[in-house]
Amino acid sequence: MKENAASRVVFILLLFLSVSLLNGQSPPEKPKLVKCRSPGKETFTCWWEPGADGGLPTNYTLTYHKEGETLIHECPDYKTGGPNSCYFSKKHTSIWKMYVITVNAINQMGISSSDPLYVDVTYIVEPEPPANLTLELKHPEDRKPYLWIKWSPPTMTDVKSGWFIIQYEIRLKPEKATDWETHFTPKQTQLKIFNLYPGQKYLVQIRCKPDHGYWSEWSPESSIQIPNDFPVKDTSMWIFVAILSAVICLIMVWAVALKGYSMVTCILPPVPGPKIKGFDVHLLEKGKSEELLRALESQDFPPTSDCEDLLMEFIEVDDCEDQQLMPRPSKEHTEQGVKPMHLDLDSDSGRGSCDSPSLLSEKCDEPQAHPSKFHTPEGPEKLENPETNLTCLQAPQSTSGEGKIPYFLANGPKSSTWPFPQPPSLYSPRYSYHNIADVCELALGMAGTTATSLDQTDQHALKASKTIETGREGKATKQRESEGCSSKPDQDTVWPRPQDKTPLISAKPLEYVEIHKVSQDGVLALFPKQNEKFGAPEASKEYSKVSRVTDSNILVLVPDPQAQNLTLLEEPAKKAPPALP
Amino acid sequence: MKGSLESGSRLLLLLVVSNLLLCQGVVSTPVCPNGPGNCQVSLRDLFDRAVMVSHYIHDLSSEMFNEFDKRYAQGKGFITMALNSCHTSSLPTPEDKEQAQQTHHEVLMSLILGLLRSWNDPLYHLVTEVRGMKGAPDAILSRAIEIEEENKRLLEGMEMIFGQVIPGAKETEPYPVWSGLPSLQTKDEDARYSAFYNLLHCLRRDSSKIDTYLKLLNCRIIYNNNC
Repeated sequence: MKENAASRVVFILLLFLSVSLLNGQSPPEKPKLVKCRSPGKETFTCWWEPGADGGLPTNYTLTYHKEGETLIHECPDYKTGGPNSCYFSKKHTSIWKMYVITVNAINQMGISSSDPLYVDVTYIVEPEPPANLTLELKHPEDRKPYLWIKWSPPTMTDVKSGWFIIQYEIRLKPEKATDWETHFTPKQTQLKIFNLYPGQKYLVQIRCKPDHGYWSEWSPESSIQIPNDFPVKDTSMWIFVAILSAVICLIMVWAVALKGYSMVTCILPPVPGPKIKGFDVHLLEKGKSEELLRALESQDFPPTSDCEDLLMEFIEVDDCEDQQLMPRPSKEHTEQGVKPMHLDLDSDSGRGSCDSPSLLSEKCDEPQAHPSKFHTPEGPEKLENPETNLTCLQAPQSTSGEGKIPYFLANGPKSSTWPFPQPPSLYSPRYSYHNIADVCELALGMAGTTATSLDQTDQHALKASKTIETGREGKATKQRESEGCSSKPDQDTVWPRPQDKTPLISAKPLEYVEIHKVSQDGVLALFPKQNEKFGAPEASKEYSKVSRVTDSNILVLVPDPQAQNLTLLEEPAKKAPPALP
Repeated sequence: MKGSLESGSRLLLLLVVSNLLLCQGVVSTPVCPNGPGNCQVSLRDLFDRAVMVSHYIHDLSSEMFNEFDKRYAQGKGFITMALNSCHTSSLPTPEDKEQAQQTHHEVLMSLILGLLRSWNDPLYHLVTEVRGMKGAPDAILSRAIEIEEENKRLLEGMEMIFGQVIPGAKETEPYPVWSGLPSLQTKDEDARYSAFYNLLHCLRRDSSKIDTYLKLLNCRIIYNNNC
């Protein structure tokens, strides 16, 4: 009995099936869930794809359950999302919870369920494109013109509370162009575009993206026409500037080419080198010292041609250290021996010359200080005394009428200012001495030698004397010396000096010479007094250092410690006539 | 005239007071409640920094999860096992915007701190175990190392923020403890990969929570709900 019933049911079912098969009907095919998207992290929508319906009207249902729950729910809204969709409203949306969603296709023949889709709303965020895209051309005065693009956040996104963080991307291009110009803005809802081509129609699009999620679709194109007269001041201004500068450059190049050197000298005048008035470099180079000296002479010098007059002056010889005569870069002098003379001339104010000519000029105005002050090795202080005793070198006074015998004191070196060590034998360190302020040619010879002694190096003196010996150079130096000796020390103040100076120590015993004559060349011919031998007066080739002048008419000479100088002195001396007034 | 002026000013005062009373939920925090001496970094800067770090951690976590999924989890159905597998699910975290907005910032902050603290240990073991995983791509390992570091940094920053926003409160609430180490070390490869999958899945989720809550708090506290 039962068997009969069972077999009957099966038979009927099979009949049914075959009938439906014959009709072409079947249960629906499995639908497929396509995607789920949340526009604002508050709601989401899922879409599915239906399969074949099996020839029968098919209904689709969506069922889901949440992570941690067992209850199965059905889709709350099939309409809002369009066909084959399910919309989950705020009420039904939970974040950070897995939804297991299934779509079922039901028709008369059967039910087919899709594969479940595991959805977490956090990871399916895709916003709508931004809304209210507006384009506006602006050109404010005195500023560059621009295109002002404005928009607002997409719908359904809560940006204000910070629940939804959004970023934007704008792209634009002229209508005919192929490449888009893109701009990315992290937050703001406006953008200014500069450098637009006038006369073009621009297309603008915008899209957005949440902090974690998918980019939205591009908004529909917005277009704007840039008017033809849209000022693009910037570029035209720069073009104008470029052309102007090019023109200026051309002019300058042309001018330089034409004028060349004269322009350069106009702009950058050559730096004048040091010059001595009346001193001709070229003459010196040629070696024509006579002419050179004559040239020097011709500058306003006190008349020195008339060297019959003996000038008697007190000259305090300051044993300036070699520095004084040390290599001051003098362009004109190539010979060593010349140098000291020259330097001496420049710094001729004796004491002042030791340190600097400027000092001298300052000190010239000072009242005369105590003359008996000893010169200490400190340079500047030393200056004062001798300076005061000097009348200004720069203001030569004519002493032609007076006979002055230059009085030289050999003094020790000024150790402070000059690095060259002084030969102790030669000089007493305590004396300062001056160059001869105003010495006529008489003194010149002495001055030449004295200058060398002033130099305070044996070497220099030696060299100087050597050069003097050679003759021409000596003359030159002497001439220079005379030049330097243009100013005259104050006789009055000068005179008491030697007495005031206490230890007038010289290394060697003083030898006295008599002035034989003063030649035209300004050479002082001397006879050493102590020397018994009196020979014929020689030419002005004998030189010795003047130690001091005594009794206003006796020149005290000190033989040069160098052997050669000594030999000079030991040569047959000539009898010098008494000092001429 | 005078009377109306007086009443007007009274009304204004009333309005102001009522506003203050009504605005309890929104806290406009003084920058340095403990006094200027205690503040070295402004709250705004702290929040900026914290938001940057939390955003970064979530990015790294997502990338790491996607890498792992692509390489080891295709067609394995690990996702089914990952449901309800997070050790931090016991924390009462808000599940949507409304809930989050109604949660007081103190609660939100302590939730963030709890999450950060509870991940210290798992991250450490994650790095160790990923290193031991055969053929582990550098993309996963390097990210794991980076996340571990950044997590510590964020925890420090959050503690500072907490100290400034809620001065005096000592945050010592217990946090969920992770006990999934044995499953990471199991011999069964599938079971092991499944455990890794779970861990990475939970890490991605919790980093998203922290990031969202922080951004909410930032807008609420610093920008006064006007981001």
